[in-house]
Amino acid sequence: MNLNIDAGKGGKKQKIQVDAPGKKRKRGASLDVKQARAGWLFILPFVLGFVLIYLPIIFKSIQYSFNEIDILVGGGYKLTFVGWKNYSDALFVDTTYVTTLVSGLKQLVLDIPSIVLFSLFVAIILNQKIAGRAAFRAIFFIPVILTTGLIADIDKANTLSSYMESSSGIDDGSGQTSTATEIVSVLDVERLFDNMMVGTEVVEYVVQMVNNIFNIVNRCGVQMLIFLSALQSISPAIYESCSIDGASGWETFWKITLPMVSPQILVNTIYTIIDAFTSSDNQVMTYISQVYEQADGNVLSSAMSWMYFLIVILFIAAVSGILSAFVFYQKRD
Amino acid sequence: MNNAQTAPKVTKETKNKIRVDFERTPFWDRVKAKLVNLYTLKKVVWYLFRFLLLLGISYVILFPFFSKISSSFMGREDFVDVTVRLIPKHPTLDTYRAIIKDNNYLTALLNTFILSLTCGLIQTFICCFIAYGFARFKFKGNKLLFLCVIFTMVVPHTTLQLSLFMKFRYFDILNIMKFLGGGVIDAINITGGETSINMINTHWPLYILSFTGLAYKNGLFIFMLRQFFRNLPAELEESACLDGAGVMKTFVSIILPLSVTMMVTVFMFSFCWQWTDKFYTSLFFTTAGEPLLPKIIKIPKSLDTQYAGQSLYTAAINNTSGILIIAPLIVLYLFGQKYIVQGIESSGLTAQ
Repeated sequence: MNLNIDAGKGGKKQKIQVDAPGKKRKRGASLDVKQARAGWLFILPFVLGFVLIYLPIIFKSIQYSFNEIDILVGGGYKLTFVGWKNYSDALFVDTTYVTTLVSGLKQLVLDIPSIVLFSLFVAIILNQKIAGRAAFRAIFFIPVILTTGLIADIDKANTLSSYMESSSGIDDGSGQTSTATEIVSVLDVERLFDNMMVGTEVVEYVVQMVNNIFNIVNRCGVQMLIFLSALQSISPAIYESCSIDGASGWETFWKITLPMVSPQILVNTIYTIIDAFTSSDNQVMTYISQVYEQADGNVLSSAMSWMYFLIVILFIAAVSGILSAFVFYQKRD
Repeated sequence: MNNAQTAPKVTKETKNKIRVDFERTPFWDRVKAKLVNLYTLKKVVWYLFRFLLLLGISYVILFPFFSKISSSFMGREDFVDVTVRLIPKHPTLDTYRAIIKDNNYLTALLNTFILSLTCGLIQTFICCFIAYGFARFKFKGNKLLFLCVIFTMVVPHTTLQLSLFMKFRYFDILNIMKFLGGGVIDAINITGGETSINMINTHWPLYILSFTGLAYKNGLFIFMLRQFFRNLPAELEESACLDGAGVMKTFVSIILPLSVTMMVTVFMFSFCWQWTDKFYTSLFFTTAGEPLLPKIIKIPKSLDTQYAGQSLYTAAINNTSGILIIAPLIVLYLFGQKYIVQGIESSGLTAQ
């Protein structure tokens, strides 16, 4: 990947150096320097933004979390340093924060496996030949584009669709089909799992997953795309040789597909965590926004979100540490 | 095969010619042997299972849209009528009319369109630019800076709410404005006497964030595009270089045309996410600011919701505004979904 490319600035520099008497020996910049210059030129917008806008914002946010803020009447604001007060307030004075945090993290832990597994499963199915595959793909990616931000907000407070879905199976003359919530009661997942003698937690988890299917489908669009592209990059020759050796579909999945997509499982797990915890509709974020909107709670919200951020970073580090032990990287040369 | 047991019958027709008669298995037997076995059965069952599953999930995805659309045509009476579920008995366009008229829908649509289009275009090109820099050039700090990109993705902007607002309320880079003092600023007279620029209620905060690759999910776009550029053959650039093209020329006339699908994908994401965005628009635009789409979600003045079916009726009105908001996006998606699917497939996000 060595490119002998003249950077935009390289040309000018060359002339200057030729004119300078002592430096005739070196003609222009070396390849590495040129490359580096071109690279910097390309990422310049990001570097500028990061240094001039992002870092000050981060710094300010951390600073606010250690201060009291007073917006002055004539414009501008005044900060008073209060040390760890905001943090201890969030932890010990505010009664709801800790409980919200704990239940939010619990929800996060429960959501991740279901989202990652579901998106892997759907990606595998969408990758196989089936009638109307293009149409199905188009439908499955609708939530990524449409059910975001505002629409998700409207949906969250939606009494209407729950009303429509709650219509019982009794024929009420309007020609209704039964809905997702009823499927669960019809199949009676609970009884099924009770008969399998697994713990009640597992039963609850599965029931919750089935009932939340709309939520899960909505949140796994990008993950599905990543898995799809991963599946498509697996060489068909591997599958062919497997089937010649007599491996069943089940074995092929465990020995070929899963190891080959394991890097993406890691990527997707981390993405899911980030997505879940940065999305404004998760309960901790909702609570922090509420606190932010209270006139005197502005700085408290900064402290709360930094604490939350630290916990999630530790969580991500732990998860990626554990998962990366199982990731299989194909050697390419 | 049982026909293998009976030997073929050989008869001599002429001196140099023999005739061999096989007892061929009848056609239907052959078909049966081929199709009626466990292998085919398994395949068919698996196919049906897959198909039904996909159909079911598609239903789950599409049902809310159906319910929203049908409820948006319902009249007031339909919400107190228990027999009405999906099909309105008193179809009316009043809800649409009221929202479009009372809530300034068209102005909001135009404003949001300008904002989203500009942001989408800037983000697409800037992300391509940055991602290409990360993917193709070796320089000190490449990896570290890419970590910074990931970092911007990980820190939720909600965390930075207050400081983001403050940054653009009192916008000033490195205190340049303060340093220059009042003189220069008064001369160009843009700030009205303050030592910083107030960018609240303008499009500039979002444009600046887009231009520096810091807007919503731009880290993800840079990540995706970087993987895509890394998978392009290096020979392309080498030959362009031999033909005398500079870096920029190579990028504009070779790399960009090759990545149209990816660019459309990124554009769709950034455009649509900006379109439906609530966080930034509520942060950077106060209630006094120009009308944008989030502001049309409210009960129109001309509709009376004070009656028995209130909660359902208001929900239906909100949903109708939701439909009006995403209607242009649905049209866009119908045209662009092909690119999204293709773009992601060719992105090779797998390459490590």
